[in-house]
Amino acid sequence: MRGNAGVIWMSIVALFLGVLAVTQIKAQDVYTRSLELETPSSLTTLIANLAERNNALRDEIFDMKLRTEAARDDAANGRGTLTEAQRQLAQLRVFAARTSVKGQGISVRIDGAFDDKALSDLVNEMRNAGAEAISVNTVRIGPRSYFGITTDKSLTVDGSAIRGPWTVSAVGAPEVMYVAMTRTGGIIGQFELIYRGTRFNVSRESALDLPSLANPPRG
Amino acid sequence: MATLTARAPRRIGAPIVLILPALLFGLLVSVQWRTQLERSELSVRYNAPLLDAARSLQSEQEVLKKQLADLRAQLDEIQRGAASQSTASRDLQAQIEDLRSAAGLTERTGDGVQIVLDDAHTTVTAPAANVDKSICHSTDLTDIINAAWRGGAQAIAVNGERVVGSTSVYCVGSTIMVNGTLMSPAFTISVIGPQNELLGAYDDPNELKDVKQRRDVYGLGFRVTRASGLRVPAYAGALNVKYATPTER
Repeated sequence: MRGNAGVIWMSIVALFLGVLAVTQIKAQDVYTRSLELETPSSLTTLIANLAERNNALRDEIFDMKLRTEAARDDAANGRGTLTEAQRQLAQLRVFAARTSVKGQGISVRIDGAFDDKALSDLVNEMRNAGAEAISVNTVRIGPRSYFGITTDKSLTVDGSAIRGPWTVSAVGAPEVMYVAMTRTGGIIGQFELIYRGTRFNVSRESALDLPSLANPPRG
Repeated sequence: MATLTARAPRRIGAPIVLILPALLFGLLVSVQWRTQLERSELSVRYNAPLLDAARSLQSEQEVLKKQLADLRAQLDEIQRGAASQSTASRDLQAQIEDLRSAAGLTERTGDGVQIVLDDAHTTVTAPAANVDKSICHSTDLTDIINAAWRGGAQAIAVNGERVVGSTSVYCVGSTIMVNGTLMSPAFTISVIGPQNELLGAYDDPNELKDVKQRRDVYGLGFRVTRASGLRVPAYAGALNVKYATPTER
């Protein structure tokens, strides 16, 4: 009897061990990402970003409804839709970088060592802050632009070498973009820590003139 | 006496046999309890309402994008109809269609390459530096996109989000946003363009050095394959042109 009891207890303990081992292995499962694991601070930033995007979408929907109605009326009354077509063409030429543009915005002057990855990150950050048109010195960034670096440390945009110092200009809401660049822990702060000898100067600009894309890609 | 001395080892033997499993049992209970404690600490007071808000805004964004796409299609139809009335309208419409295609506002299909970028299967207990190197970051995506444009890409989408002139790849915490859409790995990057040139760009040892090194050392998922009949959807977000005024006619 005593021998049987021992076997039973051993079996129970072994069973628990098995269950716990499996549970623990599952608990230490692969690193996974999900919204549930984000901190309240990250979630708040995500929410602000989503809300901002949704507001931009709502504004454009409102505008598009008015334009669609106006174009429908014009077409029905035989007036044609030239005005709407011209308006759309102007908007698309800006969006596709097929026209030179003017407007307010910001400039980031970079004087010292810098590289193509950092330039790509800066352009990405400007786009996230709502930049509508961007140029590096006199070269306009297009929808398919790519960045590189030459052996003599010149940066390249779409294969064209641009020697430093570089001025990256962006047309858009000046205050929004300025704050996005210069906030604590923001991209300029990170650059200042990484490229210690390089000077970064961010300024609000009331009137920028940006060229059009030099060689629009085909296809 | 002989009986007693013979019994004694058996009485002591059974508990000894049980000591090892009992110790293991205790250890596992303790580790399990600690793991659950750490997780419950993450579920702080504000996470539930914040999560609900984020999910609700993401769903709303999908509805808004659909509405905008419908309106763009309606306006396009009205203009196509009106364009037949005059040569000037026809010319304008042709230019609009060319620009819509160049700007990424039309769907594209064709051959190209497909890139899959994914986190390595790293345990959460791995050193933080190793976890950081074994997971994908927003900068990996921008580097992959940069290499694609260099290789002559004509259209790119990341998990179905078209890459256009205003696209940003943004990272908050461990969540990545492309065109303001929340995304998690794995990322599938569909690239339409000349296959050999694109494969050449990704094979170039000077391209994506960091991604390739992390793939080889930390198991980061990075795979480039030739793909046929790819579909890259049209950009569905806002054009957001408010501050820039064209200066060319």
